Amino acid sequence: MSKQAPGVRIDGLTVTYNNLPAVRQVSLELAAGTITGIVGESGSGKSTLALSLLNAVQPPGRIAGGSVEIDGLGDVVALRGEDLRKARGAKIGYVFQAAQNSLNPLKTVGKQLLDLGRSHGVDDLRGLVRDAKELLGRMGLDGNRVLDSHQHELSGGMRQRVGIMLALVLNAHLVVLDEPTTALDMITQANILKIIREVHEERGLTTMVITHDIGVVAEVADRLAVMYGGRLVEQGPTREVLASPQHPYTRGLIRAIPRLTGDIDEARALPGRPPTLATVPAEGCVFRERCPLRMEVCDTVDPETQSIGGRLVACHAVKVKEHA
Amino acid sequence: MITGENITKTFKQRGNVLDKREVRALRGVDFSIPRGGAASFIGESGCGKTTLGRILAGLESYDGGEITIDGVPMSGLKPKARQPYFRRIQMIHQDPYSALNPTRTIQQTLFAPLQLRAKQTGRDAKWIEERAAEVLSLVGLDPGTVLGRYPHQLSGGMRQRVVIARALTVDPEMLVADEATSMIDVSLRLGILALLKDLRERLNVSVLFITHDVATARYIGDDGDLYVIYRGQVVEQGKVDTVIADPVHPYTQALLSAIPVLHGLEVPGEEPVVPTSGLDESKEDTGCLFARRCPFATEACTAAPPPLQLTEGVPQRHACIHPRRRSVVAREV
Amino acid sequence: MSTIVLETSSASIRRDFWRGVWRVMKRKPSRMVGVVILLAFAFMGIFGPLFYPEHLPRDVSNTYGPMTWAHPFGTDGQGKDVFAQVVTGSRYVLLSALVTAVITVVLGAAIGLFSGFKRGRWDTVLMRLTDMKLTIPGLPLLLVLTTVWQFGSAVEMGLVLGLLGWGSVARAVRAQTLSLRERGFIEAARGLGLSTTHIVGKELLPSMAPYIAMNMLIAVTGAVYAQVGLFFLGVLPYEADNWGVMLNLAVFGGGAMTTPSALPYLLAPLLAILLLTLGIVLVVDAMDEIFNPRLREE
Repeated sequence: MSKQAPGVRIDGLTVTYNNLPAVRQVSLELAAGTITGIVGESGSGKSTLALSLLNAVQPPGRIAGGSVEIDGLGDVVALRGEDLRKARGAKIGYVFQAAQNSLNPLKTVGKQLLDLGRSHGVDDLRGLVRDAKELLGRMGLDGNRVLDSHQHELSGGMRQRVGIMLALVLNAHLVVLDEPTTALDMITQANILKIIREVHEERGLTTMVITHDIGVVAEVADRLAVMYGGRLVEQGPTREVLASPQHPYTRGLIRAIPRLTGDIDEARALPGRPPTLATVPAEGCVFRERCPLRMEVCDTVDPETQSIGGRLVACHAVKVKEHA
Repeated sequence: MITGENITKTFKQRGNVLDKREVRALRGVDFSIPRGGAASFIGESGCGKTTLGRILAGLESYDGGEITIDGVPMSGLKPKARQPYFRRIQMIHQDPYSALNPTRTIQQTLFAPLQLRAKQTGRDAKWIEERAAEVLSLVGLDPGTVLGRYPHQLSGGMRQRVVIARALTVDPEMLVADEATSMIDVSLRLGILALLKDLRERLNVSVLFITHDVATARYIGDDGDLYVIYRGQVVEQGKVDTVIADPVHPYTQALLSAIPVLHGLEVPGEEPVVPTSGLDESKEDTGCLFARRCPFATEACTAAPPPLQLTEGVPQRHACIHPRRRSVVAREV
Repeated sequence: MSTIVLETSSASIRRDFWRGVWRVMKRKPSRMVGVVILLAFAFMGIFGPLFYPEHLPRDVSNTYGPMTWAHPFGTDGQGKDVFAQVVTGSRYVLLSALVTAVITVVLGAAIGLFSGFKRGRWDTVLMRLTDMKLTIPGLPLLLVLTTVWQFGSAVEMGLVLGLLGWGSVARAVRAQTLSLRERGFIEAARGLGLSTTHIVGKELLPSMAPYIAMNMLIAVTGAVYAQVGLFFLGVLPYEADNWGVMLNLAVFGGGAMTTPSALPYLLAPLLAILLLTLGIVLVVDAMDEIFNPRLREE
């Protein structure tokens, strides 16, 4: 049974926690077969966005508006119970941030793998184990040893790779990776990113990577979407966004990254700090407190998302430039 | 001035009786950090860089070698007598949240070491208040806003600054920053790095920066030394810019090759180095510890451990018998 | 340079603390119920006996009487009002339970903290001591003890139970200390040269406060059961009308297990014990939130 990589259309998604918006009016399309990277700092809402793809936002959070349409599944926001459970494992693979929390400490990894397979109606469990070992091997781990281990016998980096393996092994065609490489060393990270790209190509997946590290997105993703304070402020082809960022936050973020080359005096931290759920402004642009291009209209009017040559940007200043 | 010669440290793991494994965290490391200078230790996790930082901050003992602080060798002193020396070196932890007591206000946290100082030097309460305000301003925080707060009411960046301020209350000679920016939002990291650089210049405090993110090492000062550590040994050491621009040890090159390239803004280096998998842990290492993962290893590499030395035409010390410059670092478009 | 230190005197910190406690309690109605129950018992213990004469009036014509407004739980074998006995007996029970709790927790926490923080030789010695004490079974020891010393008074009872019960608290506190010890702020305190007293008292203790407070409340519960049990078994002569004695008399003297008339006499003290336990359990729920500034605030 061959499956095509699904396309995903998120439209006007709003997710709230205790009536405070963690994600506000986010519209994003993941074209079938692409890798999209969502970049954001703490409080940006990126993890909540990812959870929404699975309709797995836990109370007191709830999806307050919008839809998440996945080819072959329909609007995930409307799914419940058994349908939702089946969708989550077999159709959508998810790797949690801090993967150590998603492993059962009392069972070996191998047993959990088999549990996973059985609960999703996989007939060929031997094949599943074989695939798992192969994936682990590619990520630089001894498959046999890892499958026989318990969670506490593995290092943080190993557990993270196990999490990635569990997300990929069920042959889901939509894979969501939330901070897949945070605990990993540079060399291991480079290896994992390579494998993610390779598996994505080999199996024809649609992949979403969520991270705070622009470098990770640069290495792996076709499209880059930048989130800040629950809003999607800019999206476009990765190379183009990096080469000529339009939104002041994107610009500031790139400038604030410590780099290996270039003049160290050119780099600058962004003033202020990212908003939390409680401090996000209810109206006006969420970024205005830290923005060098702040104008009066930014205080009261939420910037609309506009299309500028294949790029989508939500900024008043950009609009002004276009009309200048 | 703090120097270390041939520092060794072995951790004995008390597994079950049959599985007494030893982990040689440090296998003979030399370093020297001048007053007001900067040094960075880079390497993968488990390479020993954190252990070395903790030894210097007095949080861990060491098994062999000599540490000399301001000209006084520590081996000649009894453990109790060493304490005031190691107190001149203060640690800045990775996680600013767990480094501050969540049940105490910032004022309580800062006053504690200051009260101790005041008692020892016969100062009064006013001095304590002034010093607290002083160290907070040094790290760029407003005492009025911050003192009455609890740690959870401050952002990650502010917490890290408080941690640095606390370290400054004892007039340290050196700050050991162990992954001090890893848990801070990206847009704020440079702020902490700039602060460390500023403290070096203003207070003549030296900074030992431990990190797996090589790029950050540049921002505490381009006059600093970079030590590349692999499995408890220094494999390359020289000025930061030299080592980054012209690395000669394959491991350094592998590390630098692995750093993500911002495609569109940068182009990758021409000859990236990727280590081979080297899963076979049963064989003992006879020569160079990196040989089994090194794509350029030869027979000679496994014969004997390569010494850390300077060779013709290479300005940095390196532990490789086949050093070769390779262009691995990404360049701006 | 003028000093710009905030008005954070210890008085205002304490004020904010109690305000926060009130807020935490209000969050769940069950906690308020628990507080009310405990306050009621405290009132009962302190002021209750003042409402009654020293020797309760006997009414031989109304033994094991029915439950009426005058006698909400009927009367006992001597015609004395049962409810009155519960109230007057509460002082003994609560006082000795408090003494037990204080001794258990102070001794146990002190030993646990010191042991866990210092480690090394001190730890080994103290833990050996604790283990020796823990291996001696409690109830048989108590029974044996009663043969040589009739520790009937409230304070004596509290003392005995307290000295017997600190072992598990010590072990538990030590385990917590060992894990907290590795936290960044404790290491930093050591690195800054702060004294052991300061670190244990000002850094470790506040972080362990919820744990210790919980243990204390649970120790009170355990102490109540222990002493009630001892009096019920009849191994100690009673010096006052306390609940354990009432249970003893109800079962062995009044045949409460066989005749319904003595049932209220049995149920009244039981209910009192259960209510007290309930109050404690409901309040314990709030402990975590009370001592964590972040949770206190939300």
